[in-house]
Amino acid sequence: MRGRLLLPVMLVTAILLSLMVGQVFVTPADLWTGLWKGTGSGALTLRVLRGPAAFTAAGAGAVLGASGTVFQVLLRNPLAAPDVMGFMSGAGLAVVTAVAFGILLPLPLLAAAGGLLAAVVVALLSFRGAGVQSSLTLILVGIGVGFFAVAASSFLITRMPPQEAADAQRWLSGSLAARSWWHVLQVWGLGSLLFLVLALQVRTMALLELGDELAAGLGARVGRARYGLIGTGVLLAATGVAVAGPIPFVAMMAGPLGMRVAGVTQPGSRLAVAAVTGAIVTILADVVARSVVPGLQLPVGVMTGILGAPYLLWLLMKEAEAGEL
Amino acid sequence: MTHTGLETQSLTLAYRDRTVIRDLTLRIPDRCVTSILGPNGCGKSTLLKALARLIPPNGGQVRLAGEELSRIDTRALARRLAILPQSPKGPEGITVADLVRRGRTPWRGFLAPWSDEDARVCQLALEQVGLGDMAGRSIDELSGGQRQRAWIALVLAQDTPYLLLDEPTTWLDLSHQLEVLSLLQKRNRDHGTTVVTVLHDLNLAARFSDHLILLGPAGLVSEGTPDDVMTESNLQSAFGLKALVVPDPVTGRPMVVPH
Repeated sequence: MRGRLLLPVMLVTAILLSLMVGQVFVTPADLWTGLWKGTGSGALTLRVLRGPAAFTAAGAGAVLGASGTVFQVLLRNPLAAPDVMGFMSGAGLAVVTAVAFGILLPLPLLAAAGGLLAAVVVALLSFRGAGVQSSLTLILVGIGVGFFAVAASSFLITRMPPQEAADAQRWLSGSLAARSWWHVLQVWGLGSLLFLVLALQVRTMALLELGDELAAGLGARVGRARYGLIGTGVLLAATGVAVAGPIPFVAMMAGPLGMRVAGVTQPGSRLAVAAVTGAIVTILADVVARSVVPGLQLPVGVMTGILGAPYLLWLLMKEAEAGEL
Repeated sequence: MTHTGLETQSLTLAYRDRTVIRDLTLRIPDRCVTSILGPNGCGKSTLLKALARLIPPNGGQVRLAGEELSRIDTRALARRLAILPQSPKGPEGITVADLVRRGRTPWRGFLAPWSDEDARVCQLALEQVGLGDMAGRSIDELSGGQRQRAWIALVLAQDTPYLLLDEPTTWLDLSHQLEVLSLLQKRNRDHGTTVVTVLHDLNLAARFSDHLILLGPAGLVSEGTPDDVMTESNLQSAFGLKALVVPDPVTGRPMVVPH
């Protein structure tokens, strides 16, 4: 119970920190005045400078965290997540491609198409031959597909005009710079919708967690249920990518981290906890990214990468020790 | 006349391009404990999975109360027939109570809250496997025997008239094997549940089953009561085993003593 209270408190604290910290320090009192009176430095910070970025970060972190948990439950492997498995890089590639060729479509749509396409490619490459492949095969194929998508994005960027290329490069590493309330609306709107869709699938998810045969015996339509969850998971990740770029490691880390803090095991609670933890991690990573080098705003993805890579290594070592790799 | 229970009709099953069961027609007697026996690779587990619709037949059909299994709605089937696969693996950290609760899924309406009936059936299932006071424990903390009983409680909570179990005693020591088989037998006697298990141990199977299905490398060798099935010539054709069959000094059931 203690852990379950801890997470919401941390979320609120993270959002506050994110509004206060930056090139200029804004006190909570100023923010308070700004919020209610709409004047002073607090109002500007809240409305334009830091508010949109903080709430975009919260939304993006939440959808990414939930997405990671979907795949971790489905594949029963902590390495499974849309960032590791290339779905987010696929979403990123779709957006970069559209920019490079001047295709004007809404970003969430492009990201969703790219993410789903990457998932289909991973499935096609892994399911060759007879039967279902192991989770690890899927994950490794996903890593390969991800590398390809990143390389293709980089190639496209080299052919862009310098300014555009710099923007695209920044976005591709996961960035919360220059976010507006439109981004907040986008990620919270689409995110809420997808969370609703996910909530309807939680019971089936609890069955799939017991293995395909037991799930089928307990009345789940295993194949259909899995496609539904994969689709929802990819769309959640794409929603995050559309507003903040393919921020690495949040999707992968949030679930296991939150689970440990809150001590929950049921899929519904795990998803909720992963979403909140994802939001916290993303906001805090952004705060650090903005303040670690004075006068320079690093992309948030650089920070989550610095946090996430050691976690990934630790996980790989643990799996190797357990003989899973 | 149609059989009221579970039956196969000219059932053919293949496993990785190899036909393991060919043209098998048999009936699982209702309200009995039936064990499927046979050497490794003879298709015991494959047959059990086909009886639970986990794998589709390559020929013929499986019927439940005269209705072809593939025509029955998934959820409706899950209310009538439960299957526990071999060596199930649960999510890390899951508690016994949470595991068993998931057995109620086929009975719960869409978005319906947890009902008193659900709670009652789960509690009964836990008590029947002797884990009534361990509901809050994580399954990772349980001993092998307790863990297997927790999984059995999950399928008991499913509250079905047909209960299929694939090698429920694997990896357990003898006393835990006896424990598991007696609780299944008790469930059968108390609730009239039709229990079908795949077992390796011939003597335990003979001791706890009302009906045996003995498969050999070339398909069905024999089916019937333990006394009918456990004969020296049947064991010879199923396992290529030269053995003596004598009455078990404790139960009087047939007991296999290999030469």
